[in-house]
Amino acid sequence: MGKPVRALAIVAVATLGIAACGGGSSDGAESGGGKTLTIATDLPLQGASADASTDTNNMIELYLESIGNKVGDYTIKLEKYDNSTATAGQWDAATCTANAQKHVASDTEVAVMGEFNSGCSKLEAPVLNQDPNGPMLQVSHAATNPGLTKTWDPGEPELYAPSGKKSFARVVTTDDYQGTAAADFAKEDLKVTSCYILNDNQTYGQGIAKAFQTQAEKNGIKILGNEAYDEKAPNYTALFQKIKGMNPDCIYVGGIYDLNGGQLLKDKVSVLGDNEKVKFMVPDGWTGYPALDKQPQAVGLYATFAGLATEQLQKQGGAAADLLKKYEAKYGQGPRTSYALYGVAGVQVILEAIKNSDGTKKGVRDAVFEGAGVTIPAADSATGKDIKIDPATGDTTAKDISVLQEKDGEQKFLKAQPVE
Amino acid sequence: MSTTTPAAPPVVKPPAPKTSFASRFGWPLGFLILAIVVFSFNQWILPETNGDFRTGYNNWLPMTAVNEAVIWAIFALGLNIVVGYSGLLDLGYVAFWGIGGYVAGWLMAPFANQVTPAWANLSVNIFGHPLPGQDRGIHINFWLVLIIAALVCALAGVIIGAPTLRLKSDYLALVTLGFGEILPEVFRNGEHVGPDGKWNITNGTKGITGIDQIPTGPFQLIPGVPATIGTFDLTFKFIVFAFLLAVAMFVSLRIREGRLGRAWLAIREDELAASMMGVPLMRIKLSAYAVGAAFGGIGGVCYATHVGGVLADRFNFSVSITLLAMVVLGGMGNVWGVTVGALVLAWINSTGLAQLGNVWNDATGSNVNFASHNFLIFGAVLVLFMLFRREGLIPETRTKQVLQEPERGEIESLGAEMEGTAENTAAEGTKK
Repeated sequence: MGKPVRALAIVAVATLGIAACGGGSSDGAESGGGKTLTIATDLPLQGASADASTDTNNMIELYLESIGNKVGDYTIKLEKYDNSTATAGQWDAATCTANAQKHVASDTEVAVMGEFNSGCSKLEAPVLNQDPNGPMLQVSHAATNPGLTKTWDPGEPELYAPSGKKSFARVVTTDDYQGTAAADFAKEDLKVTSCYILNDNQTYGQGIAKAFQTQAEKNGIKILGNEAYDEKAPNYTALFQKIKGMNPDCIYVGGIYDLNGGQLLKDKVSVLGDNEKVKFMVPDGWTGYPALDKQPQAVGLYATFAGLATEQLQKQGGAAADLLKKYEAKYGQGPRTSYALYGVAGVQVILEAIKNSDGTKKGVRDAVFEGAGVTIPAADSATGKDIKIDPATGDTTAKDISVLQEKDGEQKFLKAQPVE
Repeated sequence: MSTTTPAAPPVVKPPAPKTSFASRFGWPLGFLILAIVVFSFNQWILPETNGDFRTGYNNWLPMTAVNEAVIWAIFALGLNIVVGYSGLLDLGYVAFWGIGGYVAGWLMAPFANQVTPAWANLSVNIFGHPLPGQDRGIHINFWLVLIIAALVCALAGVIIGAPTLRLKSDYLALVTLGFGEILPEVFRNGEHVGPDGKWNITNGTKGITGIDQIPTGPFQLIPGVPATIGTFDLTFKFIVFAFLLAVAMFVSLRIREGRLGRAWLAIREDELAASMMGVPLMRIKLSAYAVGAAFGGIGGVCYATHVGGVLADRFNFSVSITLLAMVVLGGMGNVWGVTVGALVLAWINSTGLAQLGNVWNDATGSNVNFASHNFLIFGAVLVLFMLFRREGLIPETRTKQVLQEPERGEIESLGAEMEGTAENTAAEGTKK
């Protein structure tokens, strides 16, 4: 009778095999005078996004320290939630819902900064929205799926606000603006006539690819296809051989660099030629990666980015440049994600709301969604631009898209692409 | 007229029925009392306690984690039927979790509107309880969906089982593993299928949200019980999930005693001997798959209502492995062991490890992220179990006995030797 033993052996080997590792986390807060309010961050601290999330938390901590953990009469405490599990290796649906319940149950939390993944936000937003003492304000720095705030798929965005009052805001522009801006740039500046679109089959990648396709077709660019690539494929030579037969002027990738982007780029250049010959365009999911900057095939690729690039921010000076300098001084390197500064921007919106409120959950939410809403001037803002949250939708009104070009091992600012 | 009476059949004494009160009603009563204690504590006592105690308690044993653990236990019991009772190693059980979840997504959410443009105005409501303002789509009563999901999953189990059951042990495990990998890919890519990609069956990685509420039916007449179990009625959700777990346990225990259950055990212990004794292998194995999958369907619907949505990213291989670990660590084939194993491991996975890590970090001043070493600890524990207690936490008596017996292979080799000696002697005899 060897079955139980064999099963045991297989399970043991498999669990050892998928043993995961991730970054560490710790709570850091100091209390002072006045009433103490807690802001929660809700990020995936394990798995693929662990580094980005850790850096975002560090950046926020640094920012709170720089303002003495105080705003108005309130002392601010930061509570870090993890919405991932080792089992899933990424954000986890049950953990997201459980976290949402904890945010609501907490006596001191007034707002949530997060989440990193739109899918997780779609689960948490309705729960936070139904908070009996709320709705509870939530400001995301990275959930870019349009449906969360505007009419997109049927039933959206009402699905995420069952109480009838909105409570989800974000400081990033939605996928559709970036795709649109990229399509305009492709037409006006690159003067391409035909494009092939690849997407990573994720909420983000698909949304951005769809937006690019819609606008490109409107601009008279011929779209030869919009196809999902397999992130687990060992190489993409066959894929690009097929595309080569159609002879496109440009390749647009809706997705993030993490999902085998390096291999994708390598095979694109080896089959279709360099990025001068056949343009290679990517969204902000491909920005802020040192590995990409080092890749020789990256030279000449065009990336769009919602907001200002790090380089521009440093040149411009102000709050964002200070933060970056402090961060490098403390951690020995810059943040490993461009979303870290957006995390701070999200916190800035929350702090501004707290300042204008009576310190209750409902008050904080109303400060953003009732009346004129919240504005952070460009001089203070972590993104170097005015942040204004539209009280009607919860979206940011800043729609600046920067176009960057990979040159000499970094993504250099090329131009600002306005979106109407 | 001959009046010879036919010979009376030999009297077979039925085994004495278990009559003691404890053995007949012990477990349902114990389960009921435990469920009531958990419910009353969280419903009435906890809100009255002081803030620090409440926060501490909620950090260690939040209601969401309890509910999630109960759902894991339902899955583990389903897998126990396939692996523990019938000895068919299944590495792709997560597929049934997924199917159950998507049945809930299709039949209990506004999503049906998006399936094809022709259904954009579809609005079906069969005793359903949609979230406020989400009346579009299909809304079928939670309790009906449970039954539908169980049937759909049972059918899926048979369809998948039919071609794979010709395979044995390791090969079967590989095929189920493949199946468990394929189905989540289907969910992930199911946004544009059919002719011209017009059909959207799973909404891709965006998933389906806005799952209906659980109605309480006649129980709402009891004062204090809400008509529908909303987002924050976690204690009532617990009662529903605990009831379904009780059903799963009851079915597991009863079916084991019956003809089907004994046939499963016979197959598990010796397939060849079982078929010689007249056990129809294919049919019995398929029914194991079907029953196991049905539990998965019920659990999948519960999970969808627990998180409020179905998201394709959830259904990955590590879930199958975690479930298998629950079954194996708890004690394969033993309902109690599997249930306890599932509850404990699910709690460790969701809260326990992180909390223990916090205690460790506070005590030693270190900064270790214990939750991220989950699989390392799991793996180490499994290896230790394999060395020192390979029958599991609460072993099944049969498994224990079987594990102490020599393996079939050993007996065979022993027999072959004996035959060999006999032949040799015979040969020697002819020589003489």
